[in-house]
Formats: sequence, structure tokens, C-alpha cells
Amino acid sequence: MTPETTEKPDDEIIEVQDLTVRFGDLAAVDGISFSVRRGEIFGFLGPNGAGKTTTIRTITTIQRMTSGRILVDGFDVDKDYLEVRKRIGIAQQHISLDKHLTVRQNIKQHALLHKIPRSEMDARIDRAVELLGLDEYMDRLVDELSGGWKRKTSIVCSMVHEPEILLLDEPTAGLDTMSRHVLWDLVRTLNGRGTTIFLTTHYMEEAELLCDRVAIMDHGRIVAMGTVDELRDIVGRVTVETTDAEGRTVRRHFADRGSARTFAKSLGDRYYSMRRTTLEDVYLSITGGNLA
Amino acid sequence: MTGPLTILDETYRVAWGDLVYIRDNIGEVLVTCLVGPLLYLLAFGFGLGGSMEQGSSQYIAFIIPGIIALTTLSATFSTVSMKILLQRLFYMSFDELKLCPIHISSMVLGKTLAGTVRALISCTAIMAIGHLVSPDVTFDPWVFVVVLVAGFTFSCFGMLAGMLCNHTQRLNLFNSIAIIPMTFLCGTLFDVSALPDGASWVVYALPLTHVSGIMRGLMLDTGVPFDSVLILLAYTAAFFAACYWLIRTNRC
Repeated sequence: MTPETTEKPDDEIIEVQDLTVRFGDLAAVDGISFSVRRGEIFGFLGPNGAGKTTTIRTITTIQRMTSGRILVDGFDVDKDYLEVRKRIGIAQQHISLDKHLTVRQNIKQHALLHKIPRSEMDARIDRAVELLGLDEYMDRLVDELSGGWKRKTSIVCSMVHEPEILLLDEPTAGLDTMSRHVLWDLVRTLNGRGTTIFLTTHYMEEAELLCDRVAIMDHGRIVAMGTVDELRDIVGRVTVETTDAEGRTVRRHFADRGSARTFAKSLGDRYYSMRRTTLEDVYLSITGGNLA
Repeated sequence: MTGPLTILDETYRVAWGDLVYIRDNIGEVLVTCLVGPLLYLLAFGFGLGGSMEQGSSQYIAFIIPGIIALTTLSATFSTVSMKILLQRLFYMSFDELKLCPIHISSMVLGKTLAGTVRALISCTAIMAIGHLVSPDVTFDPWVFVVVLVAGFTFSCFGMLAGMLCNHTQRLNLFNSIAIIPMTFLCGTLFDVSALPDGASWVVYALPLTHVSGIMRGLMLDTGVPFDSVLILLAYTAAFFAACYWLIRTNRC
């Protein structure tokens, strides 16, 4: 089977055009367009209910779209869903493992479902397991694992067929700091091996540390998109944080340190801090502090 | 190209985890599937049958095919429906399945295969017990074919219920309006011709009635009712098509 279009730029592996997904009267996703470049880590940032998971479910062919068009590696998700599914792996927000099976059996089940030839199966499983350091847990029932190890197993399952695109829906939600760092390293390693990563998160730090580009989503729409630096430029690269007369935190953003210093001097004796604008500042400024 | 071999291969891949579970927990599976049918055999065959004037032997021969038919329903529906419901709503692993490059026919066949295997194992065990307690019952190889078809049909029905329900209470509704009436009314424990006319028409419309009729025809050498074969196959096709459609249109 050949891709739907051949004119698209080679570096766009996911193209979403005017995507709308409605549930009754509610537009969970409201006419969004964006693309993900081959080999990048692309992040979808937004509060709960912003439409991130619905978007990811539509890209992965699980959710039907109301209107719009999505191409994955040139294949239309509506018409060529089998071709799309060959190219993607997804670790969902909810850990979707069979708790009655062992870690090894769960990974093998996924390998079978992704039609890995039986001759290659053991080698593929070994490679995935080695990458995550799951060896000692292989023969344990999933039910006996901690949340972090379940998440790791889930990611191994989603990548055992070595997909070109890995979609991670809130990959570190509910994990402790150590487990989050281990998973961030894993995401970088996978990306370093050429896998395009599309992740959703509502952790600003995660998006800032991992993503080449970020789209900020709010109420079903993309309200800003670009590299973290480009997003900083939207609101200003320097932030001055102070408090108002009632003790509430007030942030002002400036294009450069000179403008920020001028403003800081105008504060007189009031306490302030001046720092580089973070993604969280950008997010709060764009969405009006709507983080759920 | 999608050939029968591709579909068979994919079916095995989908069913693998469930089959491994059956293999690793065969004792538990047997107990779960056999306790109900054996209780029916004891309570109705020996208990009720023993109080009949002609003694229990004739009645036991009558109800063994009915209990085997009943087992094709009891060994499949509840486990398949509950598993699909849990995989859809709690583990989200049904979504994972939908994401795999597997044909929808294979998904339905694979998800129902474990149920069909449960039916085959349980019915074989009941047949062996039936052979011991009633020499009037004969075993035609076609009985196994009927068990396979009926097990698959009721597994598809279970899958359909698991895909239509959005919580466990709704699944109980299926049990109340379909499974329990079929269990007691569909000719498993008595001859449906004994029912009043209106009721017998309703019972005739239910698939288990036809499984009971075919089983009894084969095992008591009274002749296979071919209209029942056609009706059973129509149910098989309808349940399969409904499962296929629900997945294809992402309505589950």
C-alpha cells in the first residue's frame, strides 16, 4: 500500500488538519491543525479535559473524528487504519495490561498482536526488556508490580514492535520522582534511536525538559505552538515576579533583561525576583491560569 | 491479501493470552464451568427425576443433552462478557487490541475463542459424566461440532453484551432478561411442547432452544431438527456481524 499523499514534506510524520471531535454538544477537540516532524519529541500540554487524550485517541484510530483529516506517515487514519496501526505504538494513560499474566506473557501478547514474526519474537522482547532493565521482573504477575514497574511494562509493550511513532499519554502521571526521571531517560533513549515521540502531559517541567516542540491546548483548541524558546518569545523571555498589596503573586514578562530591570526599579522597596521565563509562566499567561 | 490462513493466524494471536490463562489455571476453569451443570444434573436428574414414577434413568437421559446445551451458554457468556467489559472500561486493553494491525474478524474470533474452548472442555467433561450415569445417551462426533458452533455463538453474544454495557449493572440486565430465562425455559430441563402456545413461540425464538433440540436429536437418536440448525446458524451470523459492526464503527 502506498501513502495517501506524496507531496507532503518528508519531515512531517503526523499531519492533523482541522480536526474536530464532538461528544453530543461538547466539542472535545475544536478544529485543530498541527503536524509532528519525523524524529522529534512533540508535546501536548494542557489541563485535564483540554482534549489531549481525545486527540491522541483519534490519531491512533481508536476514536472517530467528527470532521477533519489525519495522515500518519502519509496514510489516512480513516481509510488506511491498518497501515497507520503498523506504524504506531501507544502507552495509554491507564495502564492496559492483563494483570493475570506475567510481565513476559504481557509483552509476548503485544508482540503477537503486532504480528512480529515468531522467529524474531524472542530477540525483539529481549531488546525491549534490556532497554528498560525489566529482566528480574519478567516472570512476575503484573498484579504484583508497583505502579512504576507497571508503567515501564506498559511502555515496553507499546514499543516491542519497534514503531516509528510512540504516543505516550501522560506517561509519568502518578509516578514518584525517581520513576519519572527513569522514564524521561527512556524517552530520550528511544528518541535517540530514531523513534518519533508524541506525548501528552500536564507537567510543565516534563514538557520543558523533553520536548523539541510543544503545543498548548485549552478547551479543545491549540492556543500556542512552537519550541519552548518560541513560546517564551510570545510572552517575553524574562519574568519579574512580585506580590500585590493583597499578597497575591503577580508576574510580568519582558522581552529582555533591560526592560525587566526598568520595571523592577519602579517597584521601589517591594520584594521581587527576576528570572528566565519558564514554560509554566507561558502556560499560565496564555491560558489565564487554567491548570486543572 | 486477507486469506483464511491470515485470519486463523491473527485469531490465535488475539486469543493467546486467554488460552495461556486457561492452560495455567485449568483446575479453576473446570470448577467454574462444571459446578453449575453438575448441580443441575444432581438436583433435576437425580433429585426430581428420582421422584418420577418411571424412575430417574429416562429423565437423566433426557436432560443430559439439555445440560450440555446449557453448558455451551453458561461456560461462555458470563466469562466473555465480563472480560470484554473489564478490558474496555477498566484495563483499557480492548483499545490496545483495536490499535493492532489485526482484522476485525480476527478480533471477534480471537476474543471468543477462549469462550469456545471453555465450552468444549466443559461439555466434554459433562459428556463423560453423562456416559457414566446414563447408557441411553449416545455420542455422535457431530455433538462436538454443535458444541463448537453453540459455544462460539454464545461467546459472540457475551462479547456483544460486554461491548454494549457501560457498567456491570447493565450486564446484570442481560443476565436477567436473556440468560436466566434461557437457562430454565429453552428445553434444557423439560420438553418445550409442554409450555402454553404463546410461551412456546417465545421460547422457540431463543437460540438455546435450538441447541437443546439439536443435542437431543443427536444424543438420543431422535433425528436432528434441521430448522433448528438453520436458526442457530442465523444467530451465529447475527451475533458475529453485530460484534464486527460495533468494532468497525468504533461504537464500543
